[in-house]
Amino acid sequence: MIIKGGIVYDPANGIYGDEMDLFIDQGRMAMQAKGEEIDARGLLVMPGGVDAHSHIAGKKVNTGRIMRPDDARLGTEPRTAVCRPSTGYTVPNCYAMGYRYARMGYTTAFEAATPILEARHTHEELEEIPIIDKGALTLFGNNWQVMECVRDKDLTKLAAYVAWGLRAARGYGVKIVNPGGGEAWGFGGNVKSQNDIVPNFDVTPAEIIVGLAKANEMLNLPHSIHLHFNNLGKPGNYTTAIETLDLLKDIKPSRMRQVVHVAHMQFSAYGGTSWRDFESKASVIADYFNCHNHATMDMGQLLFGSATTMTADAPLEYGNARLTHNKWSNHDIELEESSGVVPMTYFRKMLVNAVQWAIGLELALLVKDPWKVLMTTDHPNGSPFVNYPEVITLLMSKPKRDAEMATLHEQVPKRTTLAGIERELDWTDIAIMTRAAPARVLGLDDKGHLGPGADGDVSIYNLRPLEVDTSLDHVLVKKALANAKYTIKGGVVVSKEGQILATPPGRTFWVDAAVPQVDTDRLMIDLEEKFAKYYSIQIANYAVQDAYLPHAKVIRAGLLIEPLPEVA
Amino acid sequence: MRTITITPKKAFRISVEAENISPDKFASLNIEQIKSLTVWQGNRKIMLSDLFTVEGDDAPAKAEETTIRLAGDFFQVKRIGEGMTAGVVEVQGSIGMHAGNNMLGGLLSIAGNADDWLAREMRGGKVVVMGNAGNYVGGGYRGEKCGMRGGEIEVKGSAGAYLGEHLCGGSIRIGGDAGDFAGAANQGGTIFIGGSTYLPGAEMSKGTITVKGEAKVLPSFLKTEIVEVDGQAFQKYAGDLVDSGKGELLVGMGSS
Repeated sequence: MIIKGGIVYDPANGIYGDEMDLFIDQGRMAMQAKGEEIDARGLLVMPGGVDAHSHIAGKKVNTGRIMRPDDARLGTEPRTAVCRPSTGYTVPNCYAMGYRYARMGYTTAFEAATPILEARHTHEELEEIPIIDKGALTLFGNNWQVMECVRDKDLTKLAAYVAWGLRAARGYGVKIVNPGGGEAWGFGGNVKSQNDIVPNFDVTPAEIIVGLAKANEMLNLPHSIHLHFNNLGKPGNYTTAIETLDLLKDIKPSRMRQVVHVAHMQFSAYGGTSWRDFESKASVIADYFNCHNHATMDMGQLLFGSATTMTADAPLEYGNARLTHNKWSNHDIELEESSGVVPMTYFRKMLVNAVQWAIGLELALLVKDPWKVLMTTDHPNGSPFVNYPEVITLLMSKPKRDAEMATLHEQVPKRTTLAGIERELDWTDIAIMTRAAPARVLGLDDKGHLGPGADGDVSIYNLRPLEVDTSLDHVLVKKALANAKYTIKGGVVVSKEGQILATPPGRTFWVDAAVPQVDTDRLMIDLEEKFAKYYSIQIANYAVQDAYLPHAKVIRAGLLIEPLPEVA
Repeated sequence: MRTITITPKKAFRISVEAENISPDKFASLNIEQIKSLTVWQGNRKIMLSDLFTVEGDDAPAKAEETTIRLAGDFFQVKRIGEGMTAGVVEVQGSIGMHAGNNMLGGLLSIAGNADDWLAREMRGGKVVVMGNAGNYVGGGYRGEKCGMRGGEIEVKGSAGAYLGEHLCGGSIRIGGDAGDFAGAANQGGTIFIGGSTYLPGAEMSKGTITVKGEAKVLPSFLKTEIVEVDGQAFQKYAGDLVDSGKGELLVGMGSS
């Protein structure tokens, strides 16, 4: 396939809006190729979008679907010759996830939180999501085995467990959610800071985070730890964020990437002592990111309207349920986690929501290096992913932000710095925040760029970047981003102007990390005891079988792999 | 006033979904265009004129100047008057499920009976049923937090279970009895039941439910005072105490 004459943004390869031809041969980018020609003269061309943090599959997504038949009715689309029927808006069915990402020009999305015990369900759903490539991060932050290894300061056993857990879950990376808090929630409690003792385990969240970060780097995992802070969603929590990040600044990354990725930063950049004096501390957080290079974040942008909050942070969801009097699902996952789901509506005139909206944008605009900030809405917690074009246009257009601000609670300019931010992102910034950076943050070498050998994932938009004024013509930009002119996945046109043309199955990435057998042997003694005493299932039935991942793409890592060249 | 009469060509064995039968949808169309509107029968998409005869004034008119007369049996026809904002739908027989759902204005008058989900999530306008109504009159459909928010429903006969579930506003008046759990999760609407009901107002947090006849009252309601309304004594309760308990339930103390 040849894509002719597009204005290409491929920041990972130093291409910033050059007119050039692209070639795809056997599903991969190539120096030359034959076959179908696509006319992209003058149009915006970028690598396929990569979403590094989205809740697209698994038990809590399904719980959201079950408790929200009202949501299912919002997004119904009938079956076509190519597509199966779609339902849902904040919690779409599996098919709709694939179609809607593809329509926007996205070709990869990662499920952000799966307990090992429920990974089989996650993979059953991932397999049913058509078109896009995906993977699932595995939850470790409230796991008994993890906490015991951290307490005993047994880093090699911890690394062995992380490797074993990723293999059992067919998981891609280490996700940590409110470490210690989820375990404390089993007894109706929570941890109030990263230095609280977790009941019954004699460890602190700080020790869990640092331990897992060290194990992560010991194992040379492609992704860093992926962290949802303690105290998330509470006024004044920005200090927890900064103190926690400071714990990790001296850990050496094993690859060319961050040491910690902060999930949905927006929910952890709050000042004030209560909801009454709630304010943005995005500028303080942004300063920290500007002065340090060990951390990246995703925005977790909130948009007004319907959302469904779902997280392994169960005490947070209890708070949400009490606050909104809405439906609430609460779930205990044995020795591993807890979780909750609560539907939510965000209002323009509600001060807290309006400030939250501004914080996400402040973060993305105040952090100078776009490689450190990924564009997300923490789908479906801040807003469903179909609203990404809205977020992108807000970042690109100061007039649009001003117009929106005029419709919000009048206190927003006093509680945030957004009104004074003139910065408007350009297509290079957007290509980084939605393509290149998520791929680099996840450690996906073949994603997010268009160099030879990369996956043949390309999105072409009905926009002329050399002509369109993204600041003033934001309506046009949003419309074009919502339905790519062409979305090409692995060299196949999967979507054209919003019409799905083909639904090839996507691959599922998972990481197989090798560890010395002697450490695994030591680990298995602990695990066999836990399964015999506490788990509801046998250890032999625990791991996800390969039959659940017919399109698996295994990435090798581990102690036995040569470390990559040192980071400069 | 423009009047359009719609008559089924035969009795339907498979139910029909006809949300296009509404003054708003008809307003800008002539008779031929109305005939070609879409309806669904089961999983088949067909034209209105495949199942119904359509007669009346040909010239388009505003919704508020449109009357749709439904002659014959429409009990197997669903979603009539969905989201209507003005005008009149006059049903000479009975009507199927979801009639007048999400209605914003106008009048839906039914000479016979109405099936379940009558005027669910209604926002405004008026619905009158001369016969009986099914379950979930003025309720919120599966998963909705709010049922009816405004407008008026009057049923001369009796109503089924879950009358006005998740009611957020508006008023419902039932001449006869209501089924179990009338006014469940009421959040601010008004219900009057001429006859009796069973366990009214479960989980109600606001609003008023008046039962003229008898009612078994949940133990989570607090007996307060005796009040007189239109010459009849009512026992007043506050509830539901499992929620905020700011709702009012009045149950008749026997007619004197």
